[in-house]
Amino acid sequence: MSPRSLKSIGGKVGTGFAITVLLIWSLGPIYWSVVTSLTSPTDLISSTPRFWPSHVTFEHYARLFGSTSLSQGNEVQSVWPQFSAALINSLITSAVATLLTVGIAAFSAYAFVRMRFPGRDLLFVLVVATLAIPAYTVMIPLYRLMISLKLVDTYLGVSLIYVSAFLPLALWLMRSVYQAMPLSLEEAAWLDGASKLYTLVRIVMPLAAPGLIAAAIITFLNAWGQFLIPLVFSPTLATKPLTVLIPEFVGRNYVDYGLINAAGIVAIIPPVLVVLLLNRFLVSGLMAGATK
Amino acid sequence: MLSFIGPRRRHGEVGLGLALVIPVVVIMGGLVLFPLLSTIVDSFYRINPMRPGTPFTGLANYAELMKDAAVQRSWVNTVYYVILAVVLETAGGLGVALLLNKLRHGRRWLLAAVVLPWCLPPVVNAVVWLWIYNPSYGLLNGMLQASGLTSGSVVFFNDPKLALLLVTIVHVWRMMPLTAVILLAALQSIPEELYQAAKLDGAGALKSFRLITLPLIASGLAIALSQSTVFAFNLFDEAWILAGSSLDTRTVMIQVYMLAFQNMKFSLGMALSLLAMLASLLVSLVYVLKVYRETRYD
Amino acid sequence: MKRQLKLMLSTALLLQVAITGVALADEAKPLAGQHLSVLLPPWGTLPKDMTDSFTAKTGIILDTQTLGWDDIHTKIVTSTVANTAPGDATEVDWSWVGQFGASKWYQPLDGLVAADAIADTPTAKIFTYDGKLLAVPYNNDFRVLIYNKTQLTKAGISAAPKTPDELLKAAKAIKNAKIATYPIGLPLSATEGTSTTWYLLTKAFGGDLFDKDFKPLFVDPKSGGYKALSFEIQALKDGLIDPAMTGLKDVEVQELFKSGKISFDIAGWAGNLAVYADASKSQVANDVAAALMPSTTGATRTIGLPEAIGIPTASTNSKTAAAFINWMLEPETEIGSFKSLGNLPPRLSVLKQLNSEGALKDGDVLLAQAAAVEPLFAQGTPGWYPEFSSAVATAINQAAKGQLTVDQAVQQIAEAAKTASQE
Repeated sequence: MSPRSLKSIGGKVGTGFAITVLLIWSLGPIYWSVVTSLTSPTDLISSTPRFWPSHVTFEHYARLFGSTSLSQGNEVQSVWPQFSAALINSLITSAVATLLTVGIAAFSAYAFVRMRFPGRDLLFVLVVATLAIPAYTVMIPLYRLMISLKLVDTYLGVSLIYVSAFLPLALWLMRSVYQAMPLSLEEAAWLDGASKLYTLVRIVMPLAAPGLIAAAIITFLNAWGQFLIPLVFSPTLATKPLTVLIPEFVGRNYVDYGLINAAGIVAIIPPVLVVLLLNRFLVSGLMAGATK
Repeated sequence: MLSFIGPRRRHGEVGLGLALVIPVVVIMGGLVLFPLLSTIVDSFYRINPMRPGTPFTGLANYAELMKDAAVQRSWVNTVYYVILAVVLETAGGLGVALLLNKLRHGRRWLLAAVVLPWCLPPVVNAVVWLWIYNPSYGLLNGMLQASGLTSGSVVFFNDPKLALLLVTIVHVWRMMPLTAVILLAALQSIPEELYQAAKLDGAGALKSFRLITLPLIASGLAIALSQSTVFAFNLFDEAWILAGSSLDTRTVMIQVYMLAFQNMKFSLGMALSLLAMLASLLVSLVYVLKVYRETRYD
Repeated sequence: MKRQLKLMLSTALLLQVAITGVALADEAKPLAGQHLSVLLPPWGTLPKDMTDSFTAKTGIILDTQTLGWDDIHTKIVTSTVANTAPGDATEVDWSWVGQFGASKWYQPLDGLVAADAIADTPTAKIFTYDGKLLAVPYNNDFRVLIYNKTQLTKAGISAAPKTPDELLKAAKAIKNAKIATYPIGLPLSATEGTSTTWYLLTKAFGGDLFDKDFKPLFVDPKSGGYKALSFEIQALKDGLIDPAMTGLKDVEVQELFKSGKISFDIAGWAGNLAVYADASKSQVANDVAAALMPSTTGATRTIGLPEAIGIPTASTNSKTAAAFINWMLEPETEIGSFKSLGNLPPRLSVLKQLNSEGALKDGDVLLAQAAAVEPLFAQGTPGWYPEFSSAVATAINQAAKGQLTVDQAVQQIAEAAKTASQE
């Protein structure tokens, strides 16, 4: 065996090891959450932790999806109507916020990189600096504003707040992506008489796809996990997302661990599907193909 | 470079540039800067719904914050969280991004697995870890005992230093994917040819990392560092759910919440949140300047 | 048997609803068609058939907002500071009364709600501020000693402890017999449940927190409060309390009790007895029993920590909201709320009725304890209570971790009370 192939085997083993460690780190706690969601309430508080539930039970999921639910030993209404409404609300607000954020960032970041207008750099620095503003700082004036605009408890209102919260990051990311791109392609298009907008949409954006997708993933997942903003701005099930609904399973005299974990596992599925769908483009190597 | 673009063209460029950033100006100005200014003004008044009137008090709120022992403790804790979280997230995130960038097969699936922790609603995340750290039937104690490292069950949160570390781990677990995704996007934009050229010049893996990768992902790194700093300064859920208002783990944001929303000393809490904002801004500024200055090539 | 009882109760309930329904049908429904937004935690959110009957009776359409309990306070503060009502009728916890009274955020309800029902609700006085009723209780949580009778019997103890000393002795016997490693369950984390347990024990040791001028009464080593904290810390040192309690909230202590790991849930919630006795939720369903709070003075004392509904001042719909509150006070609503959500009825007559029907686990103990309920603050919950209480929890948590002595902890609490109340 040549030292070269030995090295490559060593590299493969190293990579395999790294992947294993990464998977355990990322999935271990999730696995534990799945186990909890499949354990019956009385087994949950048994003395020894089990790595696999001794009796698998789907009762927590049945309470999420079933037509009636048991709560504190009483039969109560199913939580599914609430849960599904909140799931849809989460999807809508996150998706709208993502589309708006990435759309605005895609165009305006380009303006910040390739166009000159008065106050450009100051504006950019100001917008990025708002990243550091804690949600609590602006919550009450913002609430006053949203009430007067009649945007409380509307998809538009919550989505707009998400856009204002996540635009700086997306903008900054897109600006760095555009900056890294070679100017030569654009110059060629301009010399051919293409307008700036046309060049941006048809030539620059496809090349910037990994950046756009990364911005979309970041915005979507950040919006998905929000708690404080919807707590205040989405008071009813008309727009209330999962993150606000799930804590309600923590009763004051009963923590429903099984139900919380089951709800969490179900709540993971939509964003993971979105990420799987999107990240094909994130790592498709469009960039390399274009410059070759 | 701009010489061939005539003045007329430049004029149109100003118009188009402004048109493209108008949505940014409207949204950020209306929904962030305007409320921020209103809060800044409020922080110079005494706003406490339980007391009549809202007199102007100047810097009294800020002076009170300086004296408060609990506030000081929360600052110390927060500094600790920020340092630890930023270091762990950046090192881990960079490692994950490099690994993902290197893989040829199954990259999609591994990335999906990596972002999973970030998809879990924060409450569920904290409850899962609460369960793992649980001294009576938690996984961590179970594993430590099974491996013979400890004999009895350990109450981790009785040790202030360990408690800070455990809270940070939960935060890092949730937020590291964000750093990884940002750095992966940056890595993706490095042309493959550069590495091939470096290889032909006889550069090893480490050298090409230092000479090609690091400079080219510098702006991504600045973004990742800044966002992890800001998120660490805003740490709330993890500490609140794992240890309540315990002084050992209390963060500045928990202190803000307690002052403004629990004790209804409204402008006092707002003043503290503004200080937290300034602190995270200053720290982020340090990296951004440093990263950009050291990697200026163009 | 249980089934029969349920059937009987529901028929009785139906009959009552039918009768009142008929009586009301003759009157006009002046509020018909009005929308009413109600903000309550999950256990205040009644099942649909109950709220439907409210709508059928009054014509009022309910828009219910449900939020986690911690989050409701944030929501109320945010919207009220922004000059809007968080809802037309909202949750008011007993601990918020001082804040909402001083800030005048809630409307006085005197004259708006049925006076005879209020007279029948002893805990209503906890919700008065400056002589005005700010909210009306919809549940009746007070503290009672809950213990695992089987474990006590195994350790050779036949009767429930009547004094803190007897409690310690029983716990030691259980520990020595290796029935439970840490027999006494009480939270020591930096959360509200830790503070309330100490307040309760302060009363058990014959003390009070403050005098009428809010001067701390717990600094003297002979005071009830000082003894109560020493009791907790000593029991912890003696291995009668799990060191892990420094990280556990009250609800987690309750989970331990359900699993049979602890023998005493000292600051047990009266409403929780039914949960403990339910075999589908608890492993000690057949072993659990309640007893009057032990006391050094011979007379049992306890505190009431009820939750209520009030009408924000910013609400423009106060008549409709008052109609809802009155409906919540009706005996059949309270019974329905107990059956579906486990809220112990705040009205004494309803509680007695349930007990005589045999629907209450250890009902006689609960009724006797209910008669001894006192508010934590005789002069009314002060506005600085939340600030004080989190300082209490933090200090006890530090003392339990060995960072403070009992003496330092009570000094720190007294200091916190001083700064909080000075403002």
